[in-house]
Amino acid sequence: MSESPEPVREPVLQTPVPLAPVLQARGLVKEYKRVRAVDGIDLRVDAGERVALLGPNGAGKTTTLLMLLGVITPDAGEIEIVGKHLPHDRSEAMEQVGFAAGYLPLPERLKVDEFLVLFGRLYGIPDPAPAAALALERFGIADLARAMGNELSSGQRTLVGIIKATLHRPRLLVLDEPTASLDPDVARRVRNGLERLCAEEGTALLVTSHNMVEVERLCDRVVFVSGGRVVADGTASEVATRFGRDDLEGVFLHLADAENAEEQAS
Amino acid sequence: MRFNTDRVLAIARRQAYVLQRAPQRWFDVVVWPVVDAVLFGAIGVYFGRQHGAAATTAAFLLAGIILFHVVFQAEVSVATGFLEETWSRNLLNLMVTPLSELEYGAGVALFGLVKLAIGVSVVSLVALALFAFEITSLGFALIPLVAVLLFVGWAVALVVIGLILRLGQGAEIMTWGFIALLLPLSGIFYPVNALPGALQPVAKVMPTTHVFAAAQEVVRGHPLPWGEVGIAAGSALVVAILAVFYLTRMLATFRKRGYISRHV
Repeated sequence: MSESPEPVREPVLQTPVPLAPVLQARGLVKEYKRVRAVDGIDLRVDAGERVALLGPNGAGKTTTLLMLLGVITPDAGEIEIVGKHLPHDRSEAMEQVGFAAGYLPLPERLKVDEFLVLFGRLYGIPDPAPAAALALERFGIADLARAMGNELSSGQRTLVGIIKATLHRPRLLVLDEPTASLDPDVARRVRNGLERLCAEEGTALLVTSHNMVEVERLCDRVVFVSGGRVVADGTASEVATRFGRDDLEGVFLHLADAENAEEQAS
Repeated sequence: MRFNTDRVLAIARRQAYVLQRAPQRWFDVVVWPVVDAVLFGAIGVYFGRQHGAAATTAAFLLAGIILFHVVFQAEVSVATGFLEETWSRNLLNLMVTPLSELEYGAGVALFGLVKLAIGVSVVSLVALALFAFEITSLGFALIPLVAVLLFVGWAVALVVIGLILRLGQGAEIMTWGFIALLLPLSGIFYPVNALPGALQPVAKVMPTTHVFAAAQEVVRGHPLPWGEVGIAAGSALVVAILAVFYLTRMLATFRKRGYISRHV
């Protein structure tokens, strides 16, 4: 019996598949009394993308984040998270989102493992205890499982907050100043953990930080906000080049100076 | 909107941890009931002796204070359950989860029923042990009366939560303040016509007034006046609808004006 010849395989052309947006916000506006905190912000974050939302204090970052999380209602604009529209589908959208903030304490009268199990259940994990134990182990703080939330240092609290935010393996992780209270060693562990999470799970990351070095290390893209508007959007080097600065810190200081000058003039 | 019972149970368990670990929270569910039972039982015995009817007068006052503790415990347990989230700055953590307002309320109310059961049991047991008054002697009449009071307690709690959302933590005093307003106006220990004339119309539109009027009839040995119960249930429904409407408006204002910044 003669062997049939191997069929000739056509080379498969790998056409780049456009990444689905995990988060898409268009024309966000928020005004408090006579101050326009957010003035027409558009933002898109794709699956697996690590994006930093940067800007001086009062630029509108936290208001923007809180609108994206459905906690503040925008005056205008649309928000879509994994195809779910806010505010109508807020609950379904939030099943795919994790949030942690460096400034938030752990609730009093809960032990760390109880806190993680509580939030695991709120995010729809049927039995969150094993996942919580594993996550504590991964971040090297398994010994804190039975500690009360108010006994932790600020760095430990931040780590537990990040574990809480990632326990349900969200498609989008939103972090507000996550490493503000961490020493460089712990901050590096957090950064490495986040990079691994984004690479392995395809989790998109939207982070605010005042640590420009950390942002340059962690994020693929930076969005600079000033006076409630997006003033730059690109890679760290693209943004720095556009403003004629050496790095993101230079851009940050330039924008802060500009805002201060504007405030003084008015 | 999906209603997830696991989330409701998670919130109820969170409230249980708070009661377990916060000794001051036991004040509402144990200390106040004991104080009220001793106070009103003793007043009843003292004034009753003057007219040769100590047991009847004590029973009248004790039935009133025990039923008052139904509305008090229902309201305070839900309102302080919410306040606990503001005191421990946990509101933002909860608001960014899939948890809906209804699920949260159900979880707090569910554990509130446990606190209510403890509080009402304490006041009833003290009344029984010290004054030989048995609240169960009111029989099945207790069921509709307690149901209406529970409903009113929850409705008042929703209004208090709405005020805290709108005005911030400074409004927490209303948790106990609102319920204190019910005490004189509801005719718990006296008929409404004992109130000053200007206050009587206010008392008459309150559902609690009709509940206590009905309870007093039963304590006197008369059958449950279903007409009073019907008025109480109808007006409680109106109060509940208004409370839900008010809370919904305040929650919308809270989200619109970014008041979450007061709680982070």
